[in-house]
Amino acid sequence: MPSGFSSFSLYYALTDALGNLRDNLVTSLLSALTVAFSLAIFTVFLVVFVNLNNIAATWGERTHVVAYVKEGIKTGPSGTAGWPSGTAGGPPGAANWTEALKKTVEATPGVKDVTFISKEGALAALRAELKGHEGVLEGVAPDILPASFEIILDPSYVNPDGVRSVVERLRAIDGIFAVEYGAEWVERFSSFMRFMEIFTFVIGAFLAAATLFIISNTIRLTVYARRHEIEVMRYLGASGAFIKVPFLVEGMASGVMGGALSLGILFLGRYAAGRHIPQYFIFIIENPFPLWKLSGGLMMAGLLLGGAGSLVSLGRFLKV
Amino acid sequence: MIQFFHVHKNYLDGVPALTDVTLTIEKGEFVFITGPSGAGKSTLLNIIFGSEEPTDGHILIEGRNYLKIPPRELPALRRRIGFIFQDFKLINTKTVFENVALSLKVMGVGPSEARKRVLKALSYVRLQHRANFKPLSLSGGEQQRVAVARALVKEPAILLADEPTGNLDPDMAIEMMELFKEVNSRGTTVIVATHDKGMIEKLSKRTVTLASGRLLIPH
Ligand SMILES: Nc1ncnc2c1ncn2[C@@H]1O[C@H](COP(=O)(O)OP(=O)(O)OP(=O)(O)O)[C@@H](O)[C@H]1O
Ligand SMILES: [Mg+2]
Repeated sequence: MPSGFSSFSLYYALTDALGNLRDNLVTSLLSALTVAFSLAIFTVFLVVFVNLNNIAATWGERTHVVAYVKEGIKTGPSGTAGWPSGTAGGPPGAANWTEALKKTVEATPGVKDVTFISKEGALAALRAELKGHEGVLEGVAPDILPASFEIILDPSYVNPDGVRSVVERLRAIDGIFAVEYGAEWVERFSSFMRFMEIFTFVIGAFLAAATLFIISNTIRLTVYARRHEIEVMRYLGASGAFIKVPFLVEGMASGVMGGALSLGILFLGRYAAGRHIPQYFIFIIENPFPLWKLSGGLMMAGLLLGGAGSLVSLGRFLKV
Repeated sequence: MIQFFHVHKNYLDGVPALTDVTLTIEKGEFVFITGPSGAGKSTLLNIIFGSEEPTDGHILIEGRNYLKIPPRELPALRRRIGFIFQDFKLINTKTVFENVALSLKVMGVGPSEARKRVLKALSYVRLQHRANFKPLSLSGGEQQRVAVARALVKEPAILLADEPTGNLDPDMAIEMMELFKEVNSRGTTVIVATHDKGMIEKLSKRTVTLASGRLLIPH
């Protein structure tokens, strides 16, 4: 620490900063409001992004992967198809064999849940779908449709690469002859989410830059208004830190105020939006964070923005 | 000890303010710098204070090459120098008390000790009753005395005074000089720039005379 920067100096820095805030109440409030709106806008995008991501996880459960079971594998140990490795010796019964195949499918990485649909089940489902036109199925053998496994993926695998890796593994399993999945939908949703991610990041960077610019200019105005005072302090032997710290504290205090204000703006905004956005769509702007995390995060972000804005300004306009 | 060796100062527009000044001021000395307006008195004090750099020459202060002192050490040096500026340089938005206290704040002196010392310094210059006034509501002479109090409150090793009596009535001027003598007797080196010939005669201290930037009576 530079000489002359005693424990009292911090006390003076804080009281000076508070005095400055009081003297420049209007400008301080203006920078606080800038921080508040920037943080609020960014938070809205973040909230929408997080909520979309969360529902992506639930939608993932609807991303069915269907694995069809080979015909004629119930032929016992002499059959060419055989049965999944790990099955205990001896001719397995059909039920046993299905059970073993299901276990193998369940053990595949990325698979969260498996439901077995028997041939009869498949036909019944088709019949239900054709309700009113069941005649079409007249005379059809009950085993015309293949048995299958309906597979629900682990949410972390609901992306093109994830799905592809699971499908590859499923195809490699003996006893599975085909695997179907909604490839296109997964691709589309996943690239949409990537776009949202980049978009949120760009918005954040843009708002941060704009906020830094405005805060640094506010501090610059304060520095300019007090240039005479700063000159006198230098003549009295004030260290660079003694002169700069109050401006830094002033910037950080505006930032924290801005963070707190943004919380208010967000809740007011949520209330107002609630009256105009259709009910089924409201989840998209619902706060997904615990309140303490949201408010703490906003104030911390304000503090950092305010501090950084002051530093930019002090570095450029206050050569000490 | 302050030593000047062949110091030259030309301002940016080429006006020579000091020419070949060689001069030694002992520690604890009381020196008057005199000469007509524009002779270079303020320039000399500003160079000692480090707010102006000489164009040429060498300066030693307490044996250290002054021009080689890194800028970040300048604040520490200035805390040991009390400067009474010709134009006072008071902060008009702060009270008299705050102006004087700022001198101690920048040194990291705590509020309660600062308060005691500020009130004492204000009583030396007879301004206790103006502590809560802002500088612009004071007379020129009162403002000058605030500047004196601000320079003395830090008990500087070196006191630089640029026309410290210019705005004072004769009685108050004498009182200020007595104050400087007292500070000097406690070990502070005092350098006073003035063209008040009466004052110089009354105090019979060492006098350095400048004319157009040159020393008239060396040493
Ligand atoms: N900042 C400056 N820029 C340019 N020239 C300057 C500057 N300061 C002083 N000068 C010039 O340098 C010369 C010496 O000025 P200085 O202020 O040192 O004189 P002085 O002896 O203090 O005069 P006074 O008795 O009127 O205060 C003058 O000619 C002046 O015009
Ligand atoms: Mg002068």
